[in-house]
Amino acid sequence: MAVRKKSGHGKDFSPIFLAFFLILSCGVFMALKVETDGIIRKKIPGSSIIYIPSGKYLKFATFGYSSLLADIIYVWAIQYYSDYNIPERFEYLDHIFSIISELDLHYLDPYDTGALIAAYEAQDLDLALKLLDKGLEKNPDQWFFPYTGGHYAQMIKKDQKLAQEYYKKAMEVKGAPDILRRLYADSLYKAMDYQSALQAWLEIYQTTTDERVKKIASNHLYRAKATIDIQNIKEAIEKFKQRFGRNPMDLSQLVKAGFLGSLPKDLDGKEYVYVPQTGEVEAPTIWWKR
Amino acid sequence: MKIGAIALNTFKEAIRDRILYLLFFFAAVCIIFSRILALLTVGDRVKIIKDVGLASLSLFGALMAILMGVGLVFKEIDKRTIHTLLVKPIHRYQFLLGKYFGLVLTLLVMLLGMSIIFLAVIFAHTFKLEWQLLVAILFIFFELCLVTSVALLFSCFSTPILSSLFSLSFYLIGHFSWGLETLIKKVKPGLGKTLAQLLYHFVPDLENFNFKMEVVQKLPIPPKIFLFSTLYGIFYTVFVLTLALLVFRKRDFI
Repeated sequence: MAVRKKSGHGKDFSPIFLAFFLILSCGVFMALKVETDGIIRKKIPGSSIIYIPSGKYLKFATFGYSSLLADIIYVWAIQYYSDYNIPERFEYLDHIFSIISELDLHYLDPYDTGALIAAYEAQDLDLALKLLDKGLEKNPDQWFFPYTGGHYAQMIKKDQKLAQEYYKKAMEVKGAPDILRRLYADSLYKAMDYQSALQAWLEIYQTTTDERVKKIASNHLYRAKATIDIQNIKEAIEKFKQRFGRNPMDLSQLVKAGFLGSLPKDLDGKEYVYVPQTGEVEAPTIWWKR
Repeated sequence: MKIGAIALNTFKEAIRDRILYLLFFFAAVCIIFSRILALLTVGDRVKIIKDVGLASLSLFGALMAILMGVGLVFKEIDKRTIHTLLVKPIHRYQFLLGKYFGLVLTLLVMLLGMSIIFLAVIFAHTFKLEWQLLVAILFIFFELCLVTSVALLFSCFSTPILSSLFSLSFYLIGHFSWGLETLIKKVKPGLGKTLAQLLYHFVPDLENFNFKMEVVQKLPIPPKIFLFSTLYGIFYTVFVLTLALLVFRKRDFI
């Protein structure tokens, strides 16, 4: 052992020996760290999070740092839900994002991100909408939540009525962008409420000052009107067929037979295209190509 | 022999410290309180008791190690009793190691006391002794040994308040160092990544001593990890104690 005399009290370790020992032990524990990292330990990621009480109660235990804790749990949650090696990670999605939102009611991102994860990753649209509803409830000035809800309802759930409700809520929020009125009108059309869609598009057309929006509204108006007209014409054709056992030769016969008051024309004043052999009626112009 | 005598003396001195009993009392309260907490849960109540119990052992043990460890050398310097000690034929390393082992012995006794209460609470629920919990407790002890060495290191050159803060930071860093791994994955290869990797391997990884979840959830533990974690603890402790010795031998007390 490398030793040297010191203070007359016998042998003591020399600084060189100590420095060498220091470097050696450092090298060994760093090598051991590599070894321990290489050993795969079975974990249950996120298992402890289920024991975190509701955010409402947790808030009292944060000593005024509830916002900070919300940030920490949110950052953790993003990492946790990005880990595809945890198949059961969505089990406590509701609980985790509820904790975050209760800790910081006005922290907007977690509602949105939580809903995104629920909708696309967990395939739990009800939960996504629940999170967005909570976001709007706590932040009534945020149009983005009902807008996202409408988008999910329309694109994932294919529920146009539900989408309509969300878009209506979103357009009623002060400061909501104009596009929401158009999305609402479009969802009315997709829900086959053509009269309401016509009214909504007409209102957009009459109130907008933007020429581009006016053009869009005009095209949609054309489509809505054409759909209503074609529907009426087809009903009249059906009645004609029932009475005469054949399709009318042309649409004017429907007026003559009293099934239509007058022959409807499209928004541009053109007549609808009728094929007597099949009884099909079409608009003379493709609506979005006008 | 000299180390043993100093260790025994340190142990006798430590067990007279009121703060030790205060922490012991709080740990016992927490372990017993876990029974009430378990009543509020739905599902496995014993799991909650085990989780809270082991966490209490670990947290209060670390507090004991830090709060007592930071005063080990500082008190001797502050009260100038170190002068009477060092004029005797005692080497500084013997003094330091004696202090260290004295506190480790104190912590061992305290941990045993807390473990008996903990196992008794578990026994009251399950009517069986769950020996596998001792694995988690043993590694909590190893962790406390390392934390004690860190507290001792800071005690050699700093005031108790600052040393407590530094030691507590060491404890927290040790339990959150895995976060660096995530950072390393996201950093582009280069000097920054190399430095981050070096730092990651250098900072303490106290999760190597954390078998609480595996034991409570009865998950299989690879046997190799016991050996490597123990060795890791020993070498890290040796490293910190050597550093403490280097600092301590430079101190001039006159």
